[in-house]
Amino acid sequence: MKRRKKSPSGVVDAPLDPRTQDRAKEDGLASVKDGRLRTYEPGDNVRRFLDLLGSRVSRSLAVSLTACVHCGLCAESCHYFLARPDDPTMTPVWKADQIRKIFKRHLDWTGRVAPWWVKAGSLRDDEDLNRLKNIVFGTCSACRRCTYNCPMGVDTGLLVRFARGLLTELGIVPEGVFNVSRDQWETGNQMAVTEADYLETLEWMRDEVRTELGTDKVEIPVDREGADILYTINPREIKFDPRSIAHAARIFHIAGESWTLPKWGWDQTNFGLFSGDDRLGAFVARNVYEAAERLRVKKIVISECGHGYRSTRWEGYTWAGYDQKLPTESVVVTLKRYLAEGRISVDPARNAESVTFHDSCNIARSGDLVEEPREVLRRVCADFREMVPNRRENYCCTGGGGLLSMAEYRPLRLEVAKIKADQLRATGAKLVCTMCHNCVDGLADVIKHYKLPMRVVQVLELVSNALVLAGPRGA
Amino acid sequence: MTDSDKPESRPMSDFLRILENEVQIAALAFLAAVYALRLVWLFRFRNRKDRTFPAGRGSAGAGYSLMSVALPGAMESTRRRPGFYAQFIIFHLGVAAAIAGTFIIPYAPGVFEVRPVMRLFQAVIGAAFFVGVLRLVRRMTNSVLREVSSPDDYFSLVLLLVWFAAAALAVPNRPDRGEWPLILYFGLTAFFLVYVPFSKICHYLYYPFSRFYLGRSLGHRGAMPPLPGRRGAAPAAEDRP
Repeated sequence: MKRRKKSPSGVVDAPLDPRTQDRAKEDGLASVKDGRLRTYEPGDNVRRFLDLLGSRVSRSLAVSLTACVHCGLCAESCHYFLARPDDPTMTPVWKADQIRKIFKRHLDWTGRVAPWWVKAGSLRDDEDLNRLKNIVFGTCSACRRCTYNCPMGVDTGLLVRFARGLLTELGIVPEGVFNVSRDQWETGNQMAVTEADYLETLEWMRDEVRTELGTDKVEIPVDREGADILYTINPREIKFDPRSIAHAARIFHIAGESWTLPKWGWDQTNFGLFSGDDRLGAFVARNVYEAAERLRVKKIVISECGHGYRSTRWEGYTWAGYDQKLPTESVVVTLKRYLAEGRISVDPARNAESVTFHDSCNIARSGDLVEEPREVLRRVCADFREMVPNRRENYCCTGGGGLLSMAEYRPLRLEVAKIKADQLRATGAKLVCTMCHNCVDGLADVIKHYKLPMRVVQVLELVSNALVLAGPRGA
Repeated sequence: MTDSDKPESRPMSDFLRILENEVQIAALAFLAAVYALRLVWLFRFRNRKDRTFPAGRGSAGAGYSLMSVALPGAMESTRRRPGFYAQFIIFHLGVAAAIAGTFIIPYAPGVFEVRPVMRLFQAVIGAAFFVGVLRLVRRMTNSVLREVSSPDDYFSLVLLLVWFAAAALAVPNRPDRGEWPLILYFGLTAFFLVYVPFSKICHYLYYPFSRFYLGRSLGHRGAMPPLPGRRGAAPAAEDRP
């Protein structure tokens, strides 16, 4: 690794701030005491990093680390590079090479014998580790757009997450990542929502929907055994956007759904995906799966969240070493089914404003849903229009990869968000819809920063708006 | 054609004969042995089991992923740069032709006696040489590529350029008119066979694996191949502004 080279973006030189970690140690948090949450300790971190590297590389990672031919085709797929075309350090290939060169130096053949020949290099000290932290956390949202554009099939998003995981084991992480991980380890949800707050908010939303529909039959059940679906949510819905729970409750009521939320294991988000910590990923995902087993439900339904969907539907089972037993789906798929089965009636005229759709990276590129939200939106919106590019070629909201929690990288994030802003502006739409709470915040930041004349909505809100209540299942 | 005009009757030094035969076989054996070790090394890394219900077929995703090399529309990066994709095709056709030449000359020399065939090989290899020059210029002038390129990247490309040039001169297979093009061609081939497993050129060994694992994973999730009726992953025509 080149020594102390200045980065044009400045991000690479952001210092490590371990004050929050020190406080966590002083407070004697259980997760710190029992070693689940790792904190930074000065010492032989390079050796520990290399040991972890050697023990954790999987085969798919190994081929991504060896197969790159430095063709540079990935560069123009990355919104960081598109926004900073004169800065080679913003390209996926450069970022991946910062990990690759360590792998080559210590695990590959030629790099061990003649490192200079293949640009292999090692880490010298914690400062180098901190620089690597800033690269993998601060200059990449792990959106995997470059992965889809690499002729060799190099998965740079996977490499970035892998490196993040190694650094997380050493406590060499942005403060925000540590804080959210701490909350999820300590409370089971990433916003440290207490059980009392959780239950109170659900009751509040239940009462709101009862008032709206004029009936006391509306329920937001908690821990109801034998329900058909277990509904899992994003803590952001409790803290900042409880209306999304009300929208779901309203639709479930009208559709005659048998559903419940769990008292524990309701957080489908998973910061393990962003921090690269598979143990945290396993803990959070297992909470959901075990809640479903405990309540003997038939299906897990995940509210609108990109990384939550990816974590709970796809990655979590592997992290937790847990064979999937129940169907697990996004609430958007549930909505699509309700529409297809006639369980809800909608009038698109009630969403008269022009709507465009933003595909969440974690759902479209790392998951399976691209057409489902469109099918729903075409039913409930009068003027639906695509942004270009779209589906698996869409650009990240720029808040992905946990970047919304990392304040130190915000200026760069907003600078490179110009690509997303241009894409949004070109649609001319008044509303941008997304099925991801993280994208809601990311897009809202972009809209505010670039002064775009639009606002962000979610699928549940648009479906709820379009509901026709006079049907047989109406209020 | 008289007997003395037949390729097998043309005078050839023992050095060239050994270089075309025994040396190539020894170098190929070395390559195979190192590749086998490479695969053992690769398979020592653990492979994670997917524990989820599938949304698509992993095998379909893997197949599509492996075929993406022949689907320029599948990726935005190649769809937007057809010229670059054409260069890729020409360059690798040149590699294939030059490799084929190393077998044709010693084992089926009659093939290059068919003049149009020989000229076709020369044309393909010559075009690949031209593309190689463009690639070298791009690597030296593009700031991104300069930043990430290693000595091995440059050396491998320059070596290929010299090899292409030697191959284009060697395919007429006329040692009676001078052995140097053939000696250079087969000498470089032998060097390549030994050097390739330790250089970036061994990407063709990893390519099937990287594409297979990526495609299988995304295929299992239903993300690859793209939905029927859609051209690659591109936005549908009705979605364009």
